[in-house]
Amino acid sequence: MKKLYSNKPVIFSLILPGILVFLFAVLAPICLSIYYGFTDYSGMGEAHLVGFENYTNLFHDSAFGRSLRNSLLLAIGFICIQHPIAIIVAAVLDKLQGKAEGIFRCIYFIPNVISVAVIAYLWKFIYNPDFGLLNNILRAFGYTEKVNWLSQQNAIWSVLIVLIWHGFGWGMLIYYTGIKNIDPVLYEAASIDGANWWTTFFRITLPLMKPVIQINVTMAIISALKQMETVYLLTNGGPNNSTQFAANYLYQQAFKAFKYGYGNAIGVIFIVICILVTVALNTIFKDKQDA
Amino acid sequence: MKENHKKIGKIILWIVLVMVAVIQLFPLIWLVDFSLGSSNEMFTNGLLIIPEKIRWDNYVKAFVDGNFLHYLRNSVLINTLAVVCVIIISIMAAFACQRMQWKLSAFVSTLLVMGMMIPIHATLLPNYKIYSNLHLTDTIWALLIPYVAFSMPQGIFLMTGFIQSLPKELEEAAVMDGCGIYRIVFQIVTPLLKPSIATVAIMTFLNNWNEFMMASTYLSTPRWKTLPFSVLEFTGEYSSNYAVQFAVMALTAAPAVIVYVILNKHITKGVAMGAVKG
Amino acid sequence: MKKKVIATLLTAAMMATMIAGCGSDKGSAPASGDAQNVQEQAAGGEKAAEPAGDSADAAGEASGGEVTIKLFSNLPDRKNGQGLVEQTIIDEYMAANPNVSIEVEALDEEAYKTKFKAYAMDGMPDVVSIWGQPSFLDEVLDAGVLAELNEEDYIDYSFIAGSLDGFKKDDKLYGLPRNTDIMLFYYNQKMFEDNGWEVPATYDDLMALCADIKDAGFTPVAMDGGDGWPMACFLTDILVQVAGVDYADIVSNAVATGDFGAPEIRQATQILVDSANAGMFQVGYDSQDYGTTMNLFTNGQAAMYCMGSWDCSMALNEDIAPEIRDNIRAFTMPTVDGGKGGANDIAAWNGGGYAVSANSAVKDEAIKFLNYMYQPDKLSKYGWENGVGLSAQDQTAYLTGNETELQKQVMDILKNATSISGTPINDCGPSAFKTAIESEIQGVSNGSTSVDDFLAAIGAACK
Repeated sequence: MKKLYSNKPVIFSLILPGILVFLFAVLAPICLSIYYGFTDYSGMGEAHLVGFENYTNLFHDSAFGRSLRNSLLLAIGFICIQHPIAIIVAAVLDKLQGKAEGIFRCIYFIPNVISVAVIAYLWKFIYNPDFGLLNNILRAFGYTEKVNWLSQQNAIWSVLIVLIWHGFGWGMLIYYTGIKNIDPVLYEAASIDGANWWTTFFRITLPLMKPVIQINVTMAIISALKQMETVYLLTNGGPNNSTQFAANYLYQQAFKAFKYGYGNAIGVIFIVICILVTVALNTIFKDKQDA
Repeated sequence: MKENHKKIGKIILWIVLVMVAVIQLFPLIWLVDFSLGSSNEMFTNGLLIIPEKIRWDNYVKAFVDGNFLHYLRNSVLINTLAVVCVIIISIMAAFACQRMQWKLSAFVSTLLVMGMMIPIHATLLPNYKIYSNLHLTDTIWALLIPYVAFSMPQGIFLMTGFIQSLPKELEEAAVMDGCGIYRIVFQIVTPLLKPSIATVAIMTFLNNWNEFMMASTYLSTPRWKTLPFSVLEFTGEYSSNYAVQFAVMALTAAPAVIVYVILNKHITKGVAMGAVKG
Repeated sequence: MKKKVIATLLTAAMMATMIAGCGSDKGSAPASGDAQNVQEQAAGGEKAAEPAGDSADAAGEASGGEVTIKLFSNLPDRKNGQGLVEQTIIDEYMAANPNVSIEVEALDEEAYKTKFKAYAMDGMPDVVSIWGQPSFLDEVLDAGVLAELNEEDYIDYSFIAGSLDGFKKDDKLYGLPRNTDIMLFYYNQKMFEDNGWEVPATYDDLMALCADIKDAGFTPVAMDGGDGWPMACFLTDILVQVAGVDYADIVSNAVATGDFGAPEIRQATQILVDSANAGMFQVGYDSQDYGTTMNLFTNGQAAMYCMGSWDCSMALNEDIAPEIRDNIRAFTMPTVDGGKGGANDIAAWNGGGYAVSANSAVKDEAIKFLNYMYQPDKLSKYGWENGVGLSAQDQTAYLTGNETELQKQVMDILKNATSISGTPINDCGPSAFKTAIESEIQGVSNGSTSVDDFLAAIGAACK
């Protein structure tokens, strides 16, 4: 058995495809990015090494700072708006029995399976000041002023709403699964003690959901950092970079402003930030669990 | 008194659920509603319209000019291939790292799973360079490789967990019978992993089905373009006809929604299993 | 049980796709190819009328085997306007040369330019749309991705004097201009008459007019501010009125020094800011795209629409209701009080055009096709017939007498012009400058950036 299980060529053959994919599609582009991050390559012609110039420029680039701030805003929005609603809805849904439970669960998840391309264009129409759904709803309530949902001040919040709407089902589903996994005996005990729904929710459901909440919070922060596609199609970072995100910005710089080298420098910093944040979150949550 | 309380609670509960359901669904109803009207009817004040005449021809236009079938076929083909590759690679790698005995197993496993942390969009620029130098742009590989690469870490992570929970006795028995490793992996272990395979398949599908950023960067001709391009290209072509644009959006969303509604129980289970573990 | 169901479904799905996959390999030279074939046949009928010379060419090439030319275009709408013209010529060419097939990839302008730069790294399509302006062409030519053309070949193509200049570097020609573009205010004549509004002669009149239109419950000017460049063209238009014939010098000087503090630029920017502030544009103009903006005008929600002369094809677009499409007229930027520009100093340029990729495997075929497109009775004639505005070639031979009112107006505007601005401001600098000004102009117009900060920011992008 042991001999069979430590046969080097066999191990190698099993692991090889995975390693190859990793080397070619993950590691190689990162190395290339690191190299181009040190050049002034425009995307065409010759590349010249320029040392850390791209990185010092990046440090002073207000649009990049804005991207990170927007990611932070988004993460806070997810955690403070989307997740509380998702937990409550999940808890309420859990109380429901029979067919209705399945139907609601199904409805909540539907936006999630729809392509970002459709979602972004759909919301562009919903936000349209002249004939969009939102302003029509306001008008139905007697508010006739045309609201500019994607103005420089509002746009980031409008983007947040789209993302919350789109991702709601996912978050809800995970909380719902977490709640289903809670031992019903605990609830019975609580109801014998005469606890009402709220007390049960705060005393039993929430504390037991802690690991699930931690997973969801981690995912929310990461997805806020990685945000690109919705923004690319909905606002493309505008007006005036007010909805800029790191991924979208590096794409713009490389392919629009002829700064391929600079774009790659952004990419490198972006990767570093993502890794640091993931590691930091995992460490924080792990410590807490141990304690 | 207590009965009353319960009733009110129940009503509030229903109100909350229905409200959230309306918020989640209404934009889609709005989309379908306007896709059946004419463009001029967009500018009415009501929330929904009753089209003067139901214009199915909007959908005919969307179906034909949006290259719907062609793009759908590409999407299904590319995604299925990606799922198959991810599953095979993850089972092999996870088995090697979890069961086989070698010094670097923990390191390699961590390395492969690390890919989860890398933001996929940061590789857009260098990958474009690599693919164009290897003449892979505008081929199916340009999509397949990144799709597999960025779903694989999660697949390996999940599979490792599942394999860990399998009892070793079966394998030991198989070894007694003289099975080789490959037979153990593919004939003994893989069948036991069916529910996990379903989970990985669903997660991979969900990750990649709606992806378009890479597709729009690496592809140029319609040959391998996927379903989201129905919308992207169509809105340019029919920029002055809103109703047809709505029709193409509804049409593009339809396959995934229909499949989801039919398989909803299995998919939710798969997602729950994958996400809670991951 | 459930596991079995999933497994079965998965296998079924895989089988289905595999079958689809196999069946498709033959058919997959793809769906769009079929569409092209149909068009090819349709165009075949007209082929008989083609001059014999082309058929002779075709015969000569037929022995050379199949040729595929990839054309990368910035005209996604293949059924109207300039896109239709381009597609018509392509179909004719393929009909005349059965061994040549032309594959078109079309994206709208922003997406096009992004993708173009991505292509420029390696492997461009054979024939591409380009812009004869520094922001676009300088870096492209430096990288040497475009093929040199022989200027002598085009002596008989009646290009308007000076129109080739933007496409040259060191006296070598790398591309050909497609249009003469003029910045215009399109307006809805019927709406104007019904409300007693008049075409403004001065900018103050324009502001007063906009206030009236707003009071009447309409959007005064539909402005595509989401993209940035139309607003930069609008700024150019104002600047031409402020600075007159000095426009080009002031801008090129500012780009060279990175100092945009010239009083003319400052004044023009201030006028833009005041106009936006007074509600000249639709609500949300700074986030709306091209199509949405144009539809605002073509659906009668906006009284005016600020865009280049290429959109003259609106007058022939079947998707637009006749009562609007027949009433579209145009005027140019009114004079600014105290400005040096006259009513006939207009913002116009030869921007868009075509070029051939230097590394094209079918370079000769591609140039042959390029030359075919530019035969005076192709782009120029069809363009005129489809009402897409003015080409960069002499079109007087193709006047039919059936021109739309709009076409006649635009032609008169150009004929009466006392000076022509040349490249719009956003295209006068490197592409980093273009990216900066097109983003910053949104901020300054909507009031979240001050004029000073705006001028400083775009200046910094030149360095």
